[in-house]
Amino acid sequence: MAATAAYELIEAEDAAPTLALRGDWTVDTIADLEDELRPLAAQLAPGAALDVAQLGRFDVAGAYLIDRTFREGPAGEARIAVRGAHANALTLLAAARKAAVAPAPPPEHPHGFKGFLETVGRGVSAIGEEIIETVGFLGETLVVLARLVLRPQRIRWVSVVHIMESAGLNALPIVMLLSFFIGLVVAYLGARILGDFGASVFTVELVAFSMLREFAVVITAVLLAGRTNSAFTAEIGAMKMRQEIDAMRVMRIDPMEALVATRVIAMLVMTPILTFAAMMAGIFGGLLVCWGALGVSPAMFFARISETVPAQHFWVGFVKAPVFALVLAVIGCKQGLSVGGDVGSLGSRVTTSVVQAIFMVILIDALFALWFLEMDW
Amino acid sequence: MSQDIAIRVRGLVTRFGKQAVHDGLDLDVRVGEILGVVGPSGTGKSVLLREIAGLDAPTEGEISFPHAESEGRTPRMGVMFQDGALFSNLTVLENVEAPLREHMHFSPELRAEIAALKLSMAGLGADAHHKRPAQISGGMRKRAAVARALALDPELLFLDEPTAGLDPISAENFDIMVKELASALGLTVFLVTHDVDTLHAVCDRVAVLYGGKVAAIGTIPEITADAKGWVKEYFSGPRGRAALRAAGGG
Repeated sequence: MAATAAYELIEAEDAAPTLALRGDWTVDTIADLEDELRPLAAQLAPGAALDVAQLGRFDVAGAYLIDRTFREGPAGEARIAVRGAHANALTLLAAARKAAVAPAPPPEHPHGFKGFLETVGRGVSAIGEEIIETVGFLGETLVVLARLVLRPQRIRWVSVVHIMESAGLNALPIVMLLSFFIGLVVAYLGARILGDFGASVFTVELVAFSMLREFAVVITAVLLAGRTNSAFTAEIGAMKMRQEIDAMRVMRIDPMEALVATRVIAMLVMTPILTFAAMMAGIFGGLLVCWGALGVSPAMFFARISETVPAQHFWVGFVKAPVFALVLAVIGCKQGLSVGGDVGSLGSRVTTSVVQAIFMVILIDALFALWFLEMDW
Repeated sequence: MSQDIAIRVRGLVTRFGKQAVHDGLDLDVRVGEILGVVGPSGTGKSVLLREIAGLDAPTEGEISFPHAESEGRTPRMGVMFQDGALFSNLTVLENVEAPLREHMHFSPELRAEIAALKLSMAGLGADAHHKRPAQISGGMRKRAAVARALALDPELLFLDEPTAGLDPISAENFDIMVKELASALGLTVFLVTHDVDTLHAVCDRVAVLYGGKVAAIGTIPEITADAKGWVKEYFSGPRGRAALRAAGGG
């Protein structure tokens, strides 16, 4: 264990005082002495000496503190007279004196009300820019997709299939499981509330309507926003940070084609499939409740669905899946490509990506609902 | 005798799967010397550095620090990684303050002053203090990384390819800085490099890793005197000869 740092100020009658150091003066030991040394500086008259004969271990931090004490005293920048022998005290004191520099004052940040207004203003203008950029990116993506439709041999099928697996197929269990539970919950609610009116048999319609039209596709999209969007942003963002995107550009590989289009195509294929699976799982959940709680047999359940639920409800839900897929993939890729050089921007971009994606899914779903209502579908 | 050895490596074996990177490697690093470690790519120079610094465990063998252990301490180490490994969400000054903040109880003022001192020793002025690592050049990042490695006043300094990716003038200045720091602070430096100029300019001794062992160790004249195989090729290739001429002539 290191010996603690200590000192003694030896006053002389007719000469300047001597500061004698004892023990170890290292980065580990000097913290406690910092406050004591400040007032001591005033007593170090010009010509004050430093005695290092009994000094133990010494390092740059210790040397800096001693040097600072002397510099703040009346002697100022004058050379310190060192007495006694020590292995490295002289070189360290010289090194500390030579390199001493005041830390730069931190850059000014606006405070108070003005600062608040500035923050809000920057936030609003950032949102505006973000919207313009994202819409621009959507347009660029659509152009690339159109070009690929005309020349399908340029589609990178290997990566498309790979992404279909990681972003789509691997999400299948969780999407189906969640949808199944939502189906259960909706059916319980229906059985309970409709039962009060003696209309509990309409639970079948409630489950079928809600799962087909809304829940299956929205649950799928929200899950993909959390699961796949974040992955897209993180992957592409890390590539951006490691200059892999730049490497692609100089090799004349278009990142829009190689990274963005592959992800969009994979999502366009997989989201409808996942949505369909979610619909089936949700309806199955409803079926179990109807069977168990209401005594509606599976055969009756399906007969009632085919009687009272026209296929248009399936299509109303299903048609939203590719739209969500496009929006999710575009937001994920766009945020990934906007990552800057530091870790902080990667984190904030992934967050933005997920938040934006979920927000857009709900917003677009609401717009669809309005439209379908007006169209009477 | 053993008090003069800062790092002692005995019988070191490192295997990745079936491939043995180190195969009974012995190495002594003396207190206060700058040891350059060279060798072809894939001979485990960086792995050796990581093992000595305690980041990876060797498969077999022993690594000890006789000098520090004879005084009953574990040695304090500073590592400069190849790309700097600065925390990208902190400013340069905050990067150097980070280890001080974590382990010491200085006032914020003294902490910033010591960090500024270390940066200044590594050759970075006040204008770089509040920049982020992404906003400064590669050479400045390496200097900031050295300042951070020195923050806690280590006695052992590990440098992994310090001059890789620097222009010749920056590399030369970096070499001078390392040499000055090492002599002013009494550091023991373990320096992994490919740069023959750095070997000549900075290193007291050079260790050549080849075939999983230290193939040669000594001053450059000692090594080149009876060089064989890869060592000979390395020092007598066009780059090696040019560096030798420059060192001899200048």
